[in-house]
Amino acid sequence: MDQNTRNDLLQLFREKLNSAMTYYLETCTRCGICTEACHVYASMGQVKHISAYRHEIVRRIYKKYFKARGKVWPSVGEAKELNETALEELYESAYSCTGCRRCMVYCPFGIDTQMIMSIAKLLLIGAHSEPEILTLLADTSIEKGKSLDLFKESFMEGVKKLEKDVVKKWKMEAGETAIPMDVVGADLLFVALAGAHSIIPTAAVFNAAGEHWTLSFFEAVNFGAFVGDPTRTQLILDRILNEAKRLKVKEVCICECGTAFRVMKQLAADQPFKVSSITEVHARYIKSGRIKLDPSKLNGPVTYHDPCQIARNGGVFDEPRYILKHLTNDFREMSPEPKYNWCCGGGGGLVALGEDTLDFRMKSARVKADQIKTTGVTTLVTACENCHTQLNNLNDHYQLGVNVKFLTSMVADALMQ
Amino acid sequence: MDALYNFVLIYMVYFSVAVFLVGTTLRLVKIFRKPKQATSLQIYPEKRAKWLGAIYDTFLFPSARKHKPVLWVFLIVFHACLLLLIIGHLELFEEFKIFQLIPHEVFLGNGFLGLIFCVTLLYFLFRRLLSPVRELSVPEDYYILILLFLIAIFGSQMDWARSWYGYEEMVVGDYRTYLLNLLTLKPEVPYNVLIAGHSFMLVVHVFFANLFLIFFPFSQSMHSFLSLPMNKLRRG
Amino acid sequence: MNEEIKVDKTLDLKGLPCPMPILKTSRGIKEVEIGQVIEVLSTDPGSLADFPSWTRSSGNELLKTDQSGEVTKFYIKRLV
Ligand code: SF4
Ligand code: SF4
Repeated sequence: MDQNTRNDLLQLFREKLNSAMTYYLETCTRCGICTEACHVYASMGQVKHISAYRHEIVRRIYKKYFKARGKVWPSVGEAKELNETALEELYESAYSCTGCRRCMVYCPFGIDTQMIMSIAKLLLIGAHSEPEILTLLADTSIEKGKSLDLFKESFMEGVKKLEKDVVKKWKMEAGETAIPMDVVGADLLFVALAGAHSIIPTAAVFNAAGEHWTLSFFEAVNFGAFVGDPTRTQLILDRILNEAKRLKVKEVCICECGTAFRVMKQLAADQPFKVSSITEVHARYIKSGRIKLDPSKLNGPVTYHDPCQIARNGGVFDEPRYILKHLTNDFREMSPEPKYNWCCGGGGGLVALGEDTLDFRMKSARVKADQIKTTGVTTLVTACENCHTQLNNLNDHYQLGVNVKFLTSMVADALMQ
Repeated sequence: MDALYNFVLIYMVYFSVAVFLVGTTLRLVKIFRKPKQATSLQIYPEKRAKWLGAIYDTFLFPSARKHKPVLWVFLIVFHACLLLLIIGHLELFEEFKIFQLIPHEVFLGNGFLGLIFCVTLLYFLFRRLLSPVRELSVPEDYYILILLFLIAIFGSQMDWARSWYGYEEMVVGDYRTYLLNLLTLKPEVPYNVLIAGHSFMLVVHVFFANLFLIFFPFSQSMHSFLSLPMNKLRRG
Repeated sequence: MNEEIKVDKTLDLKGLPCPMPILKTSRGIKEVEIGQVIEVLSTDPGSLADFPSWTRSSGNELLKTDQSGEVTKFYIKRLV
């Protein structure tokens, strides 16, 4: 690595050093309390997957270039040069961490490993060593924001085709549109995933509840956040913010996508509309009697997997349980305390990397599979696309024999006419 | 010999206290003045008393108690001893009424506290030598533990050493004179301190304490100040 | 666009959820030569937004989108 590249990378590093990040980098006492927190370590037992070890990889570079000590006495903290080997270590560390922040619950100081890993991810982007597929997906999303006119018509036409499936689930009054789009003045903007399975059931529920809603042109998932690129993250988010402002909606509702929800909730904190997850909206409908659910649709014991970015990192715990209470009377908790729930093992972009990470995802989530097995359920519910894919993979790999379901589609299936 | 004693007990003390105070303050100011994190770093579920919760997390380490109960006992004992020892040193400057709520002589426990402190340090050291904490540790972590151990063992056992002389030498009054001299910038080590048979222990104690103070602002020991703001971030 | 497009490879991505169609396509297209054309079959309405954007951001060319049937067909020419 030549000096110029290094300086550029260190500049990226420097930009990340706000007060919180500096606390985190200055403080770890390497006490090891976080050892068992990480599902990767708990499943595979390699020291390099302990959260403190992960941040030490970033911290060593910090010690070398951002602490006076790094010049005077580098060996005291094992400060390390930023070079190709360091980049490889950063890659291994950052892309085996799902950013679930379970370790943050363990650490007596509350050090945020996901945040420290964001430095690693940013340095990798700077060195063009990030998983290019994630950047490609992020760029596609950004391009979509720019070229809405290019696909608007055909997309609306494609969505029209879904309407008959929505009507099948919920018969509509004549004159209503089953999937409204581009409605100025709607109360709620629903940001789905680019996929029928995310649009149809939710549309049925909105219509059953008589919601004045409109479907977003954009998909919720934020690949910029997965690859750890703040600029791209913001650009992808802006598409939705702009749409919400253009349509003057009161509420932006994010589909079952953990990262999208957390990013939206965090970065859109002071917008003129409120941000909610689809789970919260559904719970609200049930509470106020806008929809009624038929509990007889579901047989056998049920458990719920809390998506990290929605529960521990997003604060939505009670709503899914409230909904499930209306769907089954055999609900079993997976973890004694939901904030300690194991990550599914697919976050941080690992699922989006597909087959490449499959082997690692299966090995690193053994504890999750065990946890599911212990509950003895037949139905495993979750509220995140990423988790759903990963849990399905786990189900096959470990032969768990469960039925992995989305909470929204269960609500849609149980709607009483 | 006197020159060496004077150096360690006077000039080096001035230097290290200065490094400690200036270094810590400057570093903290620098860190606190960095731009704030724009987004929330909270962990849910949310509890209402955020500051109270953060203080609880900072001083009682509930997560350590939950996940490493044995370590937690040692951590609590270690930090409690540390606190009491700091109080003991303050009492060497002068009597504080408030500390006499539990009536005691200077240095509660006559060296016992220091011994317990050393035991906890040995435990930490021993823990660091075992996997996986061993792989996590860097030299700094060992140095700090060893330094603290040396400081505490020599410091606390001065009381025992005094018993050799029937407690006649190096009495509290002598320390007070010494420290007062330092404070009023009339640096002079009292004769009684220099002449005592075990004054070498004091010199060793102060010498290592100086090293620790110098290293403090640049080490992970800064967690003493950063723990609260970090815990507050987690509480939201 | 009536002229028949000569297809060098077909990717069947029916039923796959996001972001799989784009992922598989960006891999699949590497298997044809530059200048050749792939045909992608998708049932995902999101693809209707994804493919025009992806071809632009990746520098390939979307020759034609056929929405007439249940399955949408995209014809993409590899340029890079
Ligand atoms: S628990 Fe916190 S302080 Fe201890 S090693 Fe882990 S990250 Fe570091
Ligand atoms: S954030 Fe999750 S995956 Fe990453 S180190 Fe912590 S526990 Fe492990």
